Amino acid sequence: MKSLEFNLATPAIILALAFPWNLSPAQSLLHQGRAESTTWCHCQLPMLQLTANPAKALADEPVHIRVTGLPSSQVVTIKASLKDEKGNLFQSKAFYRANEAGEVDLAEAPAFGGDYVGVHPMGLFWSLKPERALRRLLKQDVMSSPFWVTLELYDSVCIQDSATVLPRASQMVQRWFSGPGVQRQQIREGRVRGTFFLPSGEGPFPGVIDMFGGIGGLVEFRASLLAAHGFAVLALAYFAYEDLPDKLLEVDLEYFEEAANFLLAHPKVQRPGIGVLSVCKGAEIGLAMACYLKQVVATVCINGSNAITEVPLRYKDLVVTPINLFPERTQLHISGALRLRHCRGDPWELNRQSVLPVEKARGWILFIVGENDEFLDGRAHAEQALAQLRSHGRSNGRILAYPGAGHLIEPPYAPLCYMSWNPGISLPLLWGGDRVAHAAAQEHAWGEIQKFFRQHLTPAGS
Amino acid sequence: MVQLTATPLSALVDEPVHIRATGLTPLQLVVFHASLEDEVGNLFYSRAFYRANEVGEIDLDHAAALGGDYKGVHPMGLFWSLKPQKLVTRLLKRDVMTSPFRVQIKLYDRHLPIETKTSEAPKASVTLERWYVAPGVTRIPVREGRLRGTLFVPSGEGRFPGVIDMYGTSGGLLEFRASLLASRGFASLALAHCGFEDLPPQPDKVDLEYFEEAANFLLKHPKVLGPGIGIVSVCRGAEIGLSMAIHLKQVTATVLINGPNFIFSIPHVYRGQILKPRPHSVQSISINALGFVEFYSIFDESGPETSQSCLPIEKARGPFLFIVGEDDKNVNGKVFAKQATEQLKRHGKNNWTLLSYPGAGHVIEPPYSPLCCVSGIANVCSAIHWGGEVVPHAAAQEHSWKEIQKFLRKHLTPVIPSSKYF
Repeated sequence: MKSLEFNLATPAIILALAFPWNLSPAQSLLHQGRAESTTWCHCQLPMLQLTANPAKALADEPVHIRVTGLPSSQVVTIKASLKDEKGNLFQSKAFYRANEAGEVDLAEAPAFGGDYVGVHPMGLFWSLKPERALRRLLKQDVMSSPFWVTLELYDSVCIQDSATVLPRASQMVQRWFSGPGVQRQQIREGRVRGTFFLPSGEGPFPGVIDMFGGIGGLVEFRASLLAAHGFAVLALAYFAYEDLPDKLLEVDLEYFEEAANFLLAHPKVQRPGIGVLSVCKGAEIGLAMACYLKQVVATVCINGSNAITEVPLRYKDLVVTPINLFPERTQLHISGALRLRHCRGDPWELNRQSVLPVEKARGWILFIVGENDEFLDGRAHAEQALAQLRSHGRSNGRILAYPGAGHLIEPPYAPLCYMSWNPGISLPLLWGGDRVAHAAAQEHAWGEIQKFFRQHLTPAGS
Repeated sequence: MVQLTATPLSALVDEPVHIRATGLTPLQLVVFHASLEDEVGNLFYSRAFYRANEVGEIDLDHAAALGGDYKGVHPMGLFWSLKPQKLVTRLLKRDVMTSPFRVQIKLYDRHLPIETKTSEAPKASVTLERWYVAPGVTRIPVREGRLRGTLFVPSGEGRFPGVIDMYGTSGGLLEFRASLLASRGFASLALAHCGFEDLPPQPDKVDLEYFEEAANFLLKHPKVLGPGIGIVSVCRGAEIGLSMAIHLKQVTATVLINGPNFIFSIPHVYRGQILKPRPHSVQSISINALGFVEFYSIFDESGPETSQSCLPIEKARGPFLFIVGEDDKNVNGKVFAKQATEQLKRHGKNNWTLLSYPGAGHVIEPPYSPLCCVSGIANVCSAIHWGGEVVPHAAAQEHSWKEIQKFLRKHLTPVIPSSKYF
């Protein structure tokens, strides 16, 4: 949709303008001064400053934003904006009130309105919204450029984006998706297609395969971020990329085994086993890898099914037939986006043969689910898998269920993508999620994912 | 042979339609697809998936939709779940007299993708007319003195209870609810109060004497029954409606939909008396995940300013019907109606009914209207979130419309004494 138009000059009927729009804070201070017989002059006013530290950081690191030099108790708007590599604009804003000392410290001050309410130091980042609806924020080039986020301070409450109203102060921060010293290597080995990220140093580093879902192609930013934390990560494509099939017509587990063997063969990758970090369809495949491949000793499955769905799985002689979805159970959200959460039935009821034999997994499994996932009921799938483990006397599975989180659980401070266009589907898909809860889930889950991999992939298990 | 029937084919927009499909393969899956084009070319679509029974029939009065724009048994679901192709659009009928909305219903095989437009031929289709006025209703433009509006008079001999119908900040003149009320037996004056002809686009005050002129105009009309009139009002219209009920003895039944129990932004004046608006905090405006603006938090609901600025509802004579959508994201109607009714109780009055609908939003319209959960108002904001969930909002519209008519009839038609008292 086009950017919000809000005419401030008109005394709107729903919204009366309580503040003297035309006065600068300095002038309004003078007004107060007159009433109290106080003398002020411009040179005594503290300098207005907007600071953000660190100005250059990894995208999963927090930023401390502060404003100083405001008149006490003044209401301000702080806006963030970012343009992605395709030129799509993402924006957010929140309304704060300076304290008595004329400061706003986002680590302590509550926002009163805007894109979020309450104390949320990183709220401006995770509430970024696309100006043109239904775009998803994805970093393509992870090595040589960051996302530039512009922070701006405006007087009073500004809902409209105006070309004529200038910010009182502004600051830019860089958000990087790779750390210093990490090397990126394009992989075309045998059938394997992907990108390998290797931290600097002697190693060995715990190896992880990173897989996304129905989006296809090759998504690198999570792999590169994980590598910045000391993991050797292979971002693995499996369809709609280079000479891989355009569409996923079957899951050939031997392809994924080749990828696992490639990783383990690398001199700087820790042996004897690797991890898998996977989401959505990728998580279904990741769970299959955990069940059938002894090379996989730690698997993180985010919002995926515990059964083979839609297309068959093949591993050597084994063929696992899929459970089909029920398209007639598709629901339409008020926005026109497709809500697919109810299109899947209970795998155990529908076809026991399609349910993944998690009791065969030798390694550890961490299920991460968003309870407000509108694409699928990850919690039900994870709990069925855990019940299956328990019924076989196994205790190598664990679940982290996040109330309010949606389907697209990404690294911390990534904006919530509530719905978006997807290749091959003519209507947008609804992913769900409540912004505040989703942001908290992303922050917590990222730490847990790293702890999980370190615990099970390094000999010391720190 | 596949047949699709809908009865009645031509009806008032608040009347239900019975839709049936026959001649299908037993247990076959199909999709019903409804579409409508409004007077300015906006397209609205809805679709639902059904399974035929053992004899190849689907009766929407009994069959449960499996998915689509709604799930479950909803005979009128295809109508109230219509969604605009462009999200920030509201379905509004401008010409209520000479043309209906035409709704096309088509039946497709299930295997078709869930498209809004397709070149495949449907198995069957039917077109319905949905009218905002009954035959015989007269439309009279009103330009008397300062008054700007349209009067709708029911057909038939005699006089009819009079009602003033008012909308909110969107301004202009919306006639469709008044024309429907007239089709249900009320002489209804759709009254403009801003942004229409020579009325100011953004008035700096509400002059209650203008509204008193309207009440008197209605009461003087030869087709209007007295001695009092009713009000049906929403949002800003309800703020004015409440003020009228308090100050004007001509008002004897007031319906307030999602309105405040105080004055929003510009003062009300009446014969030298000035009622000031309640202060609000602009910084409490919220923006939701889709960029829609929510205004419902801008008024502090507690504190000294709150009680001082409440309108003195206990001074009103006539009874009140409060209608509240609990999911309203524009006005915190639930809290305000509760405060108003508490105030009435404190003064020993029980002349009110409160209908509070969970899941209903701000724009509570006559039955089967599609939920408008976001739209723009010129010169105010381009995407205002009104709130509401499709299914409960539809149920609220159906229930409240019947209650509004019952309430108006009860309090505006004289009670005919029953014979046992003679």
